[in-house]
Amino acid sequence: MEIVKQIKYEPAGVKGGYTDRILSIDLGRRQITIRDLPPDFKNKYIGGRGYAMKLMWDGTSRKTHYDSPENILVMASGPLGNEPGFPGTGKSIVGTISPLTDTFIDSNVGGHFGPLLKLAGFDALAVSGIAQQDVVVAVDGDSGTISIMAAPAYDKAIDEGALSFGQGLLADFNSGEYSDSLAAVTTGKGASNARFGIINSLYYERKRKRVRCKQAGRGGTGTVMRTKRLRGIVVRSSRSKANGNNAVDKEGVRQAGARLREVILEADPKQLHLSAWGTTILSEYMNKFHLFPINNYQYGQSAESSKVFAGVFLDRYFSQNTPDGCYYGCNLACSKSVESVELKSGPHAGQTVSVDGPEYETVGAVSCMGIFDPHFVLEYNWYCDEYGLDTISAGVTIGFFMECFERGFLTAEDTGYELTFGGMEAADRLLHEIANARGFGRVAGQGVARGKKWVAEKYAARKGISRDDVQTELNKFAMEVKGLEFSMYVTKESLAQQGGYGFALKGPQHDESWLIFIDQVHKELPTFEGKANALKWFPLIRTWFNATGLCKLPWIDVRNPEAASTAEPAKNLPTLAYYVDYLNATTGGHKTLQDILDDSERLYILQKLINLRHGKGTRASDQIPLRAMGPAFFNEYESRAEYYDGWLREQLGDTELPASPQQRHELLIQKRIEAYQKLCDIVYEKKGFTTDGIPTRETVAKFGLMDEQAGQLLHQFGI
Amino acid sequence: MAQKMTVSIKFLGMQRVVTKKDFINIPLRKEMRVSDVLELVRNLYPDLHLDAGVIFPTVNQEKASLDKLLRANDIISFLPPISGG
Repeated sequence: MEIVKQIKYEPAGVKGGYTDRILSIDLGRRQITIRDLPPDFKNKYIGGRGYAMKLMWDGTSRKTHYDSPENILVMASGPLGNEPGFPGTGKSIVGTISPLTDTFIDSNVGGHFGPLLKLAGFDALAVSGIAQQDVVVAVDGDSGTISIMAAPAYDKAIDEGALSFGQGLLADFNSGEYSDSLAAVTTGKGASNARFGIINSLYYERKRKRVRCKQAGRGGTGTVMRTKRLRGIVVRSSRSKANGNNAVDKEGVRQAGARLREVILEADPKQLHLSAWGTTILSEYMNKFHLFPINNYQYGQSAESSKVFAGVFLDRYFSQNTPDGCYYGCNLACSKSVESVELKSGPHAGQTVSVDGPEYETVGAVSCMGIFDPHFVLEYNWYCDEYGLDTISAGVTIGFFMECFERGFLTAEDTGYELTFGGMEAADRLLHEIANARGFGRVAGQGVARGKKWVAEKYAARKGISRDDVQTELNKFAMEVKGLEFSMYVTKESLAQQGGYGFALKGPQHDESWLIFIDQVHKELPTFEGKANALKWFPLIRTWFNATGLCKLPWIDVRNPEAASTAEPAKNLPTLAYYVDYLNATTGGHKTLQDILDDSERLYILQKLINLRHGKGTRASDQIPLRAMGPAFFNEYESRAEYYDGWLREQLGDTELPASPQQRHELLIQKRIEAYQKLCDIVYEKKGFTTDGIPTRETVAKFGLMDEQAGQLLHQFGI
Repeated sequence: MAQKMTVSIKFLGMQRVVTKKDFINIPLRKEMRVSDVLELVRNLYPDLHLDAGVIFPTVNQEKASLDKLLRANDIISFLPPISGG
């Protein structure tokens, strides 16, 4: 490969979880810079998501959009990533200004990239600028070189695919042999043509003797990567992964890790059993409680859902008896895969491929299109990965357009074919059109927020009616907030999770809070106060995981039996105590859980400030579509009329129900809208925000974030 | 002939694998409570993991206490903790 720019460097050692160095690469100027971080940087911004946000706050402005040269693509693990002695330490964060939300997005991804980047000497990698040609970046800790290289040309099919190109890179950089000392991130041509491009994290798994991949799926990080003409990043380090963080108290790390592993070993097989089923097990539970996002979230349950339950994948597809952790030392090992799938459609029809997945979210995304075919799920999964597309946003977007078609807002003249729920052929065709920017795919690749504007304009012109009126109707079922498509849970019956999605700073992704069960099923949050407290606590602790390089699943999806005797079992505090011990043993600190929450709140407020700067930080940006609150249309109400009437009866007390079903539906919707607004008021107060959802000066100052930019920004909002 | 009054126990996830059944129906006894059903299921399927503290009983998809009295046609599940990844 032709080297465009190269520097030599001496990889910093890791000490207490940190290298205290960031690698900055400006592709436009061909500059490679190593920055030593001041000691207080890590204390204030922790790592991962925190580092990405701080770099974005300082290095970009309101005028920065996803395709601006100054936009930064940050990849960072965190102080607790890269420790095989503790489960779930392979996570890293990709942060950037999103093509979907036009504000900061972060997406976490498993695999070896973050750990190897740290071993190669860097806590974070920040890429800015736009290259003049397609390039690959290589960070080689073994040879002590950092290089920008002209992207290699293999053949067209390989070069356009995220998986195939990544496999080529990993072999190329190691004399044709795969090795677990290397990892790569890549994306495919779909990420050039859609706003919801992903970044694939590829690594070699010795047990399976093949390259596997995980995805930073949300918010269009891959689209930013392609816009920068960055085709891939390869990182190499042969340093020992054992005690990779050079912990201050190695025995403390060992003990904390052993305790967590024991809980997973004992409890997971008795609970969700993620180690056997992966996250696909959730489909069955979601369907039972009307939470499966069928037909664009219209219905939470279907008689057909069982065709895509976990048992189907376990019996017919998943390779068995092989541990599937995405990083060393994780005995939850939920990263399932299917080794041999013959593709039936698309440009690779007839080819046999390995599929990493499916995860629950991909199964949910397919149900969102009204499809319940396990083979379709696998093909959809593989093609999205290869094209570099987010399975969630692609599924929600196609589902939205299917509903537009069925409700008459779109015609076959607009789309080129019948686009209805359950139509596998049409869904498949649209996916390939999105990836290749062909036909209606050019519209669909823009996502739901922009797609609904296109439909409104078309329909209004066709009917000679007001575009705003059409837009209002479309807003009811366009499942996006802040420009990001919803992840795969129906929130109609959980006010707390409506807030979980509406207040999520990146948009409606459940990694900030997932409160559906404790609210809707377990009834542990009966009051607005209780919901608001949960909507403050859970996003803070979950943000901390994203700042430290950790996977949340060993904490949140394996309940420690000791939690049952605590006041709030859902917080799983006995397991969180292991994490606090692990943190202190690694860094040599003396933090409490409250200290961790305070650190996390600083990051939360910083992200809120970035959102405010980019026009996504006020109450208006936290509003959710009607369908997220309840049955947006009468057909949805009718499908569970008895349940909804019961709910209404509870709300009205002695007052009689309206006589007609239509009136009852209208009243129910009115009650749901009122409840959401009341929730906004209470949550903002709890978080130290104004009623418009803006942090007060006291809140910003409390966390040491009142710099000149923050002062001016708040001033603009009259604060 | 009068129809026998029953309640159903629905098995999900691992429970379905262990029991090899989607659900079972059992006769509703007088004053039968969720705890009685739990005991019965434990006896029928000793390999099921139904440890107190990590199972959440639901009746007709609503959280239920162990001492809840059951009515004819109730559907009972014993859920693991689910927290959404």
